[in-house]
Amino acid sequence: MTVTETASEWQKAAYIAGQAADARVNVELETEGMTLNIGPQHPATHGTLRIVVRLDGEQVLWADPVPGYMHRGYEKLCEVRKYPQVTTLINRIDWLSSFANEVPFILAAEELLGVEAPPRAQYIRTILFEMARLANITLFLGDMGAQLGAVTPVFYAFRDREHVLDMIESATGGRFHPNFDRVGGIKDDLPKGWIAEAKDVMERVRVFCDQMDQLLVGNEIFQTRTRGIGVVPSAVALDYGLSGANLRASGVDWDLRRDDPTIPMAWKHADFKVWTHPDGDSFARYWVRLQETRESTKIIDQLLDDLPAGPIMTKVPRIIKIPEGEAYVQTENPLGVMGYYVVSKGDLGPFRVKIRTPSFNNISIAPWILRGVYVPDVITILASLYFILGDIDR
Amino acid sequence: MSDAPTETPDAPDAPAEEAPVAVQESTPVESDPVREAIVTQLSGAFGDAIIDSHIARGDLWVRVANDKWAEVVAFCKATLGFRFFDFLGGMDWLNNTNLSGEKVWDPDAEKAIPADMSTGYAGGDSRFQVLCRLFNVDTHMGITLKVDLTADAPTVATISHVFAGADWHERETWEMYGFNFDGHPGLRHLYLPGSFEGFPLRKDFPLLAREIKPWPGLVDKEPMPGEEADEEEVPE
Amino acid sequence: MSLVESGRSPKALTWLLNYGRKRSLWAYQWGLACCAIEMASVYVSPRFDVMRLGVIPFPASARQADLLIISGTVTDKMAPPIRRLYEQMPDPKYVISMGSCANCGGPYWDSYSVTKGVDQIIPVDVYVPGCPPRPEALLEGIVLLQQRIQNEDPAERWRGEPIIVGGGVIS
Repeated sequence: MTVTETASEWQKAAYIAGQAADARVNVELETEGMTLNIGPQHPATHGTLRIVVRLDGEQVLWADPVPGYMHRGYEKLCEVRKYPQVTTLINRIDWLSSFANEVPFILAAEELLGVEAPPRAQYIRTILFEMARLANITLFLGDMGAQLGAVTPVFYAFRDREHVLDMIESATGGRFHPNFDRVGGIKDDLPKGWIAEAKDVMERVRVFCDQMDQLLVGNEIFQTRTRGIGVVPSAVALDYGLSGANLRASGVDWDLRRDDPTIPMAWKHADFKVWTHPDGDSFARYWVRLQETRESTKIIDQLLDDLPAGPIMTKVPRIIKIPEGEAYVQTENPLGVMGYYVVSKGDLGPFRVKIRTPSFNNISIAPWILRGVYVPDVITILASLYFILGDIDR
Repeated sequence: MSDAPTETPDAPDAPAEEAPVAVQESTPVESDPVREAIVTQLSGAFGDAIIDSHIARGDLWVRVANDKWAEVVAFCKATLGFRFFDFLGGMDWLNNTNLSGEKVWDPDAEKAIPADMSTGYAGGDSRFQVLCRLFNVDTHMGITLKVDLTADAPTVATISHVFAGADWHERETWEMYGFNFDGHPGLRHLYLPGSFEGFPLRKDFPLLAREIKPWPGLVDKEPMPGEEADEEEVPE
Repeated sequence: MSLVESGRSPKALTWLLNYGRKRSLWAYQWGLACCAIEMASVYVSPRFDVMRLGVIPFPASARQADLLIISGTVTDKMAPPIRRLYEQMPDPKYVISMGSCANCGGPYWDSYSVTKGVDQIIPVDVYVPGCPPRPEALLEGIVLLQQRIQNEDPAERWRGEPIIVGGGVIS
């Protein structure tokens, strides 16, 4: 077997699709090409992503994203930090769901150290992880409307997100960046009265989901703008390493929360459904995330109900020295699969941390997916792929 | 910011023990027939090109010869079902304990490999390696492929035609380590401005800010309430 | 406006002009990093709602803005566009540096790609510390800026020591 033979059928399909797009452009009116520069400062780019688009009339011939305006050099900085200091730093990768960033790194460190957090710590970790998911995805659910011109959902999203942030803050002390996870457990136990309050907030989030269902999903304009736009077939999605809701919207039934029971987290004790959608278009991605938010509230409710008693910290040495080894741990983060490849040489700090961030892979499909679409759909597709700049650039 | 209290267990009666790491990594004695079968299958198809492999804690590392890199990755995708592209990254095994050393990055400097350089799982002959992580979404198994790159002219074949997602990862690795990916459609800067000099993730690239200014964590270290000034805290 | 520029305008008129300026600050949306979300909370969250202070966060371009909030990490790649957009803003213009990263580099103080403080490229009027600052902190920064605008002498534009919310030193 030679390389050229295996050169991905989907690469060929992508090429043919591109040719077809060019042909479509050519049979219509002859127009002069134009290069449009979107960003690096643009409200629709969630920060500072720059996209250079070559247009023919209203259609995109090619698009070239230029990331790097938020590159802060995490992988290098992790090499000069100690293990407890690294969590402070990696909070800020995906800034909407900070707690979820800490978990895979701590799990990788625990795996190398050969310890496991006690059950109560695992439960609280999972609850806060899912809360981080809510804080992240609710913003997407509202923001997607804003990208289509409907401003109201954003206000709703920020209103209900505040309640989730309040819960995170009252448990961890940090509204945005909790830095709450420790090697061997978590920093503190939940405060008194937190469980009842959290359940109220879950109810609010479910109401918010229903509102989004009525405001956007059932909206004819929303459906017309998103259905059949930006279709990603499942094989292409796997090829580019798309993950999370982007992958499940393409019909791949894979969720690490359910499918990896070796992760020492409490998802295996909860009963939830992993939603997939066969279409793979912008609408499917929105719909899957909406269902995921509902499932997430259910997970939190169940885990709050059977929160076990016990310690929240296992016995670890006061000064954390991780034995020599390599470990890769990935979890199902709000944006997709996030993983840390931690290489330790027995020092106080990691020797090398390779951070696999979901948005980097999710947005690397942009040149493929944006070929042949119309200009207004560029914004819709990028919004539905849902990326956080810090997560792309690290 | 102080990092002193972070490791302390929450229970007040827990003494601040300085005992050596009590929990040692248990040697994985249990066999892993599924992953061993994968290694056997790879060795059967590529023979000597599969240099070494390592199975630990339910994970698999395989080191591949440089000239068969793309073929092995393609085989993993097409035959072994590792269809999900996780990441591709570089690795510099140079042992540089003083990362903020005074030496300014010099591309023409002698690239001597120190004697105490150790490479990780599945070994390595050179300072530079490229790692590629693939995942099988049907059997929920991962594999980490490694390939050695020579220190003076680090080059490996591209896999961007096998996994389209590897395109950006290779651009990033090229930018961060200066590895050349043979056959890549366009190795351009991804993160850094075009005028940037040096390869930041190489171990001999110093962080200049750390030389000008001491690590702030050492300066404003505060003892915890009811605790003597922390002197056992080991600095960097 | 020559009266104002010559510095001979009556006190009442100066007061009125300053009042008008401070209550209609058009803030350019410049979301950079984590702080951008807290800034967005200030802009659109019903709980904080900056518009009650007269700050309008909807200018279409920097050319229509009075206030620039640098909310987040400024990288070396981002610095030239920031400088450029700042120069496009018409005078009198004000800059709030929000968060540790924009103030001094913050947790990325030793990074190879982060500009250690936005004040290296543009002048800053108010520093808001925090990582990220709470929305209330940004609101306080805006209120302090408005107080300064109220007491400003339009004849010679104020260029003094910057304000630091909550006191302290930016090192």
